[in-house]
Amino acid sequence: MDTFLSEKKRTIRRSVRTFCQREIQPIAKEIDQEASFPWEVVEKMGKLGYFGIQVPKALGGAGLDTVDYIIVIEEISRASAGLGLCVTVHNSVAVYPLLAFGSEEQKQKWVPPLAKGEKIGAFCLTEPNAGSDASAIEASAIRTNNHYLVNANKVFVTNGGVADVCLIFSRTDPNAGRKGISVIVVERGTPGFVVGDLEDLCGVRANPVSSIRLYDCQVPLANLLGKEGMGLRIGLAALDIGRIGIAAQAVGIAQAALGEAVRYAKQRYQFGVPISKHQAISMMVADMATKVDAARLMVYRAAVLRDKGKSFSQASAMAKLFASETSSEVTDLAVQIHGGYGYSKSYPVERYYRDARVTRIYEGTSEIHRMVIARGVLGD
Amino acid sequence: MGIQIIVCIKSIIANGLNGQVVRSSDSRELNPYDRPVLEVALRIREELGGTITALSMGPEPCAFTLNEAMAMGVDRGVLLCDPALAGADTLATSNALAAAIKKLAPFDLVLFGTRAADSDTGQVGPQTAVLLDLPLVTGAHSVEPKDDGLIVERSADGFLECFEVCFPAGLTILSSANQPRDVGLLGIQLAFEERDVKNWNLADLDLSADRVGEAGSATNVLALSRMESVRKCEFLSGSAVEQVDALINRLSASGMI
Repeated sequence: MDTFLSEKKRTIRRSVRTFCQREIQPIAKEIDQEASFPWEVVEKMGKLGYFGIQVPKALGGAGLDTVDYIIVIEEISRASAGLGLCVTVHNSVAVYPLLAFGSEEQKQKWVPPLAKGEKIGAFCLTEPNAGSDASAIEASAIRTNNHYLVNANKVFVTNGGVADVCLIFSRTDPNAGRKGISVIVVERGTPGFVVGDLEDLCGVRANPVSSIRLYDCQVPLANLLGKEGMGLRIGLAALDIGRIGIAAQAVGIAQAALGEAVRYAKQRYQFGVPISKHQAISMMVADMATKVDAARLMVYRAAVLRDKGKSFSQASAMAKLFASETSSEVTDLAVQIHGGYGYSKSYPVERYYRDARVTRIYEGTSEIHRMVIARGVLGD
Repeated sequence: MGIQIIVCIKSIIANGLNGQVVRSSDSRELNPYDRPVLEVALRIREELGGTITALSMGPEPCAFTLNEAMAMGVDRGVLLCDPALAGADTLATSNALAAAIKKLAPFDLVLFGTRAADSDTGQVGPQTAVLLDLPLVTGAHSVEPKDDGLIVERSADGFLECFEVCFPAGLTILSSANQPRDVGLLGIQLAFEERDVKNWNLADLDLSADRVGEAGSATNVLALSRMESVRKCEFLSGSAVEQVDALINRLSASGMI
C-alpha cells in the first residue's frame, strides 16, 4: 500500500506509527480496562499537530490534506481505537465546521487552541430521541436581545468528558422543522453547562463519551455558527468528513487485529505445525488481509476525491460501510484464530473485537449508509 | 549568528530485497542511530542559536532522508549525488564528505553517528575528521554547551572521560545519548513542501573521480548473502526452581549473561 503514497505521506505514517508504538501501545490495554483518558499522551499528541491536521498553518495547524488525515487516524486507531476516536472526531466534526462555516473572528478565537490540542472539541447532535433522525432534536436556543438561552440534553457525546468547545445542535425556530436547527458553540464553564456521567461502554473505552446537559445557558449571539437554520447543513457536511475518519479508524482496528492474528497463527503449534499451516486458518488470513486492503483503498479513494475538490459523499458512505463491517469481520476472525486465548483479556484481540463493533453504529449506522448509497445508485 | 553545525547522516537500506544493495524510495530510511545525533545538534542550537546543515551522500531518493532531518528541525539539507560517488567504501565516503564540509565552511561543529544500522563500520566519522584535521571526540553520550565550547562526556573501559571542547570540533555521538524528539506533522509539511534539498555533484566538490566512489575505495565488498539463523525451541523440565537454575546455567555457559 505504501508504494502508492508519496514520500511525505510515508514519512507521516512512519512518524505517527513510531510515536504510537512508543507512547500509546504500552498503555492501550490499561486505558481500555480503566476507561481512562491519558492526558499526558494527549498533550504530546497536541504538540505534534495531531489535533489540527488539516487546519491551515496560519491558524496553528499542520495544513495537511485528507489523505494525510486518514493516515494519522489509522495509525492512532491501530494502537488505541479510543484515542483514534478522540482525534478523528475532534478534527472532523468539531474543528472542520468552525473552519468551513465560522466567521473570521470565530476562527481566530476557537481554532488555534483546538488545533494545538490545548482545547478539545465535541459535536453534540445525538439526543435520547434523535439519532439517525437528526431532524428530531429537541434542544432549544431561544434568541433574546443579546444572547441565546440554550437548553439541551445531548447523549453519547464523543470526548464529552473532556470537551472545552462544543457544537450544540439546537432549535432556534421551533416551527421551521428541519430548517429550524442551528449550531451554537458553547464552551465548558458556561453557567448551566453540565457534563453527565461517562458512559460505561463496550469498546473505545479510553474515550470519555458522556452526556452533556445545558440548563438555561446564556450564550452570546456571536456564538452562532453560520446562520440560523443552517444546522443540518453544517452537520451533514461535517459528517461527510467524519465518516472518512471513522472508516480510517475501522481500518486501523482491523489492521491491528490482522497483525496479531498473523503473529499468533505463526507461533501457535497444533498437530505438530504452526496453525498458519492449516488451510482453514490460512484461508481466513487471506480473506482478512484482502478485505483490510480493500477497505483501506476505499477510504483512500474518498479522501483523494475530497482533496481534489470532487463530490465524495457517496464514496465516503461506501468506505465507512465497508470498512466498519470489515473491521467487525476481521476482528471476529482474529478472535477465532486465537481460540480460547482470543476470548481472554490477556490478548489484545478481544479489545479489537469490542472496539470494532461501534464503528457500524456511530457517524451513521450501516443501515443509514446503505439507504444513502442505495439512493445514490438508484437515483431515487 | 550563533553556531554553525553540520550533521552527517546516512540513508540506510531498510529492506535489502534479494540481497540487492539499492537505495530506492522503498528500501531506504534515515539511519535510526543518526536521530540522536540530530537531536544533539537541535539541543545545541536551542541554547546557542545558529544553523544546522544535514549532509548525506547517495542517489536521488536519499534526498528524502534529508527531508526527514529537516522535519525534525534541521535548517537545510545537502545531498552529494553523482554516479561517480556510487560504490564508495568508508574511505571514499569520507573523502566526499570532507570535501563537502570544506565547501560548507565556516563551521563550528561537525557531528556523526557512531554506526549505521546497515553496514555498521563506525569508520566514517573518525576518517572524515582526520581528513579535515579536525579534533574529534568519539562515542560521546553527553554534550553540553559551556562558554565558547562544549563539555563532552564519553565512557571508556569503565571510566568516564570528560572533555572541554573548543570550536571547531568533531564528535561522534552514541545512539544511546538521548531520546530523539518525535517529528511533528507541521515539521513534515514544511520539510517536504517548503524547503529544498541542495544537490551537489562531483564538480561541486572539486574532487577528482579517482578519490570517490568505487574508484576511490580501498576495499571492495565481494559478495552479500543472507545469513541463515537456525532457531530451536527447547522445554526445560523439573520444578520451577530447577528450570530457572538450568536456564541460568545455559545462558552463562553460552556467554549470554
